[in-house]
Amino acid sequence: MFWHNFKYEIITHLRVKEVIIWLMIYPIALGTFFKAAFGDIYDNDIKFSIVKTAVVINNTENGEAFKKVAENLENADDAAFSFIYTDKDDALKQLKDEDVRGIITVDDQLSLTVSSNSLKSTMLETLVEKYNLNAKIITDTAKKDPSKTEAVVKALSEEISTVKAEALSEGNTNMYDQYFFNLLAMVALFGTITGLHIAVQNQGNLSALGARKCVSPTPKSRSLIASLCGTYVIQSICMVISLTFIITVLRVDMGNRIPLVYMTAILAGIVGSSMGFTIGSIGKMSFATKNAMCTAVSLILCFCSGLMDASIKQKIAESSFAWFNKINPAAVICESFFSLNIYKDYTRYIQCVVTMIITSVVFVTIGLLMTRRRKYASL
Amino acid sequence: MEQTVVKIQNLVKRYKELIAVDHFDLEIKQGEVFGLLGPNGSGKTTTINCLLSLLEFDKGEIEIFGEKMTPTNYALKKRIGIISQNVAVYDELTVYENIDYFCGLYITDKETRKKYVDEAIKFVGLEDFTKFRPKKLSGGLLRRLNIACGIAHKPELIILDEPTVAVDPQSRNRILEGILELNAQGATIIYTSHYMEEVEQICSRIAIMDKGKNIALGTKAELKKMIKNTETVSIEMQQPDEEITKKMSTLPHVYNVEYKDGKLYVYCSGGKHNLIRILGVLQEKDIHFGRVYSELPTLNDVFLEITGKQLRDSE
Repeated sequence: MFWHNFKYEIITHLRVKEVIIWLMIYPIALGTFFKAAFGDIYDNDIKFSIVKTAVVINNTENGEAFKKVAENLENADDAAFSFIYTDKDDALKQLKDEDVRGIITVDDQLSLTVSSNSLKSTMLETLVEKYNLNAKIITDTAKKDPSKTEAVVKALSEEISTVKAEALSEGNTNMYDQYFFNLLAMVALFGTITGLHIAVQNQGNLSALGARKCVSPTPKSRSLIASLCGTYVIQSICMVISLTFIITVLRVDMGNRIPLVYMTAILAGIVGSSMGFTIGSIGKMSFATKNAMCTAVSLILCFCSGLMDASIKQKIAESSFAWFNKINPAAVICESFFSLNIYKDYTRYIQCVVTMIITSVVFVTIGLLMTRRRKYASL
Repeated sequence: MEQTVVKIQNLVKRYKELIAVDHFDLEIKQGEVFGLLGPNGSGKTTTINCLLSLLEFDKGEIEIFGEKMTPTNYALKKRIGIISQNVAVYDELTVYENIDYFCGLYITDKETRKKYVDEAIKFVGLEDFTKFRPKKLSGGLLRRLNIACGIAHKPELIILDEPTVAVDPQSRNRILEGILELNAQGATIIYTSHYMEEVEQICSRIAIMDKGKNIALGTKAELKKMIKNTETVSIEMQQPDEEITKKMSTLPHVYNVEYKDGKLYVYCSGGKHNLIRILGVLQEKDIHFGRVYSELPTLNDVFLEITGKQLRDSE
């Protein structure tokens, strides 16, 4: 009886249009869109790479001092800059052709010319500002206490030469991957559709099918558990397909703990289905109303987790509702993927997994308590 | 002695102030095709849902095959087949899969189930549609699928709740013939409907329900005997003058004469040769008339006389 119900639950869900559209086609389409929109931004602009810079020297004395600093920067481990010494016209041509990111002009002070605002431009601005500041310190020291000048120059040179690309962590720092984590969270929460079907199709007062099942000799608990298991399998398949597409086709870096990423995705799907089961079990509303509720709840939770606007998550974290995203399934799912990608240790990841498990258990328990009724006051 | 299959005693079901089933009693014997006739909202489906332990009820006792019916009496549920008023099938499954699914809730052995499913498909004549999804079926075929899902496991008691609603005449006849065939195979049938012709056609015993009450119970003949009318003669003609209607009213066994919608209706209670005597009056006065009908009372007449309203008026 269990396998009979289980088998037909899977067949049924595989033929539900909403399941195919929202759990299979939609994530693939939106993932492709994300990749098209954000994919190159990181590679071209954000990811650390050497910043080519043209240098025009108008003041020979200062130019020699800058060359020494520049040499240190170029020779450092994970060097962030490379310098080309040229004249003003050639430098402007190279900037126009995007062969260099900026032009440093050495006069009494350094000045910077860039063609556009970007992280690399910001790095150059920082370098120039720091150099000018240090130069001022050295000049002031030479005026006030010449004996200390050598020591100050040595110290400041060492400080500048340590400027290099430092990753924030051991993991993937592409902030745009957050959108793919959110996308996976959304796919998981769209699994509410499958959970909703189970609740409605097993309750005598919600559907003719439910009433028909209630008068059959199959115990309701057995039927519900078989249906839930079938749904979890379908939801897991959808999550695995979405994740595999994101990793293999879109080539999104999901870190090097891939088995755990898959396990997280499956667990996330179970959270979504369980949530749908709970929503479907509450009250005597039409299927259409409950379906709309599921979609609305999923979207609101995803919005709060930063899917539509990444800053929302930060705003919630800073507000008095910071607790909300600690239990918001969408936020917890995102956080678990993020933790796997970023942190070496598993503390935050385990917290997320435990939260997901507890959330699922709570959802299923509420759903079962709501649907356990065997007789109805009205149909 | 025939076994009592269903026994309902003093059943009361209230929806707040509304009494949907009002101290309802019923006893159905094995092998009967029992009709539950009544207008929409008379409490037929509510009674069935209480019988199946799907609805909570306020008062009363229900026994099926001598056992108390409860939601967890699975052994008893195995012996019952239900064809609900609303078609209850999966839109995503094919005809074959739907029947197999519902049969599988009752029959665990795969081989037996396959045999039963094939037999059910043949029984309802859906052999050519086994791979069709319900949405591709016409209203009549869909109803037949609904029936197949309810009877595939070969139940001893089959409850059909308005199974012919929105069904074409051809499918309706096929369904009614099928019900009689199931009965011939040994199943006890409970058939609810507001179509009196169907109930008259197939049911051996009938209960008429109105406002949750069992207002009449018996065989067709017994029910018809409960009322005064035994024959209604209707004649297509111009409106007769008062003298003619008075004369007809004085004829033996005539208890009412009325003219409406271009016809003269003469109601008789008992007696023979009423038609000859009525036409004699018209010939005597040399009054021309068109077609003449002599009709025996129907269940609608029974309902009309007991409740003062037509079965269909109440819909």
